[in-house]
Amino acid sequence: MPDAVTFMMGKFAAEMPGDLLYAAQNHMWCRAVDGHLRFGFTAYAVRLMQDVYFLDWVVSAGDTVAQLRQIGHIETSKAVADLFAPVAGTIVAFNQELLQDPSTINVDKYGKGWLFDMGGDSRALLDVNRYHQYLADNWDKTQRLIKGKINTDD
Amino acid sequence: MSRNRLTVVLSQAQGKNPAKRALEESIAAALIMEQGLDVSVVPYLYDLDANHTGRLFLESVQGDMVILGWMYPRAAFWLLDRDGIKGHYGENELKPPAALDDDDDDEEGEPEPPKGIGSVDVPDRRIYCLDLRDFNGHEPYIEEVRRIAAECRERREERQREMASPAILQVGIVARAEEPAPFAPETLLQQPGRRWYPVIDYSRCTNCMECIDFCLFGVYGVDNIDRILVENQDNCKRGCPACSRVCPEHAIMFPDYKTPAIAGAPVGNITGLKIDLTKLFGGDVKDALQQAVVERDRELVNDGRSAVGLTVGIPKRQTDKPHGPKDELDKLVDSLDALDI
Repeated sequence: MPDAVTFMMGKFAAEMPGDLLYAAQNHMWCRAVDGHLRFGFTAYAVRLMQDVYFLDWVVSAGDTVAQLRQIGHIETSKAVADLFAPVAGTIVAFNQELLQDPSTINVDKYGKGWLFDMGGDSRALLDVNRYHQYLADNWDKTQRLIKGKINTDD
Repeated sequence: MSRNRLTVVLSQAQGKNPAKRALEESIAAALIMEQGLDVSVVPYLYDLDANHTGRLFLESVQGDMVILGWMYPRAAFWLLDRDGIKGHYGENELKPPAALDDDDDDEEGEPEPPKGIGSVDVPDRRIYCLDLRDFNGHEPYIEEVRRIAAECRERREERQREMASPAILQVGIVARAEEPAPFAPETLLQQPGRRWYPVIDYSRCTNCMECIDFCLFGVYGVDNIDRILVENQDNCKRGCPACSRVCPEHAIMFPDYKTPAIAGAPVGNITGLKIDLTKLFGGDVKDALQQAVVERDRELVNDGRSAVGLTVGIPKRQTDKPHGPKDELDKLVDSLDALDI
């Protein structure tokens, strides 16, 4: 198992545990739980979004989704975003507690703040070092995107 | 309804959400106990049409006013302005808890100077709009209403001191204050049907007319001094915010739209302006114009008309074009402009 890795987002250290797989395109972590794949936001995603106010799913447990099909929507103190399926497969369950209080995502992102369980193939996901590499390769572009959004777009 | 009292209007939420109703009721109950306030309750502000008693009541209010409603203050303020219920924007000091947390890392949130065309015929009074989504309890709202009431009282006294002979003028003011006919609560609270239409923030609108070119449903028009106006509100297509996306100044709001930037969140304030991270989370995001074209085509097809895609009313902005030094031909054309022929 690789060691945990830290990615520096400017001054902020985003911690990534070594025992997880990562869906880099979605900034979600993945852990095998009870024969399913459990997904949640990485520290990187949470730092960008900050306090989560509202989380909404547009598909139901039992639905089969293609990879990158939209499955939900999130609103935080700093951002809004649509959410997409990290892999193709069947949604098993959503974390019901988050629907009551989504701030658990901020408090315990790698634990109780998990988002959903789904059945699917995790082979295309990255290990922590490759996710770190992905973040490093895209950090300039990400910063430009965010700054561009703030200045010109919504 | 004397000019020396502060009118406080609570605008109810749409629907029957018990949590929202409970907050409304606790605020109303607490406000009634306060001195010097005229408290009224009307249905959801956005849904009131010109004939609704709630709207007639709002039009009859003359002095300073506080509106508590379930939408962004900017949206509520300009919505009233469009309905002829005008005043100067009263700054409120209510800050939702999240915004306070952010204050220390807020150096990017410099407010920008207004460059819009502004409102016209604005009477000398203030309208304060408070967003009922900011807090779950009534206390912060009551405190803020008290603060506003004190601020309004001070301003009134200041104005009276500035006048040459305050005693006489004061009598004059009292004499002028007309008591409008009372509005019965049952008609005031008659539930209106849902509406959907754009609201223009004239502090940002530059009258560029891109919205009127883009919208093909006859929602926009111009007034008698050629200012853009949301003329036929109910021609608008429910759920469609396309014109808001083509507005270069973020001046068009749909108070009920899901994304804060379109619903009227504060602009230029980093805590209010939310960025869309969809692209970072794996989404294939269209730019605002493409999105607007898709939304407009959908509504055209729903109406049995043909989709027009990018062929009609597309902004021809060239803001990215570098301003090179003027050559002889430019100068010639400029001089023709100056001749006013």
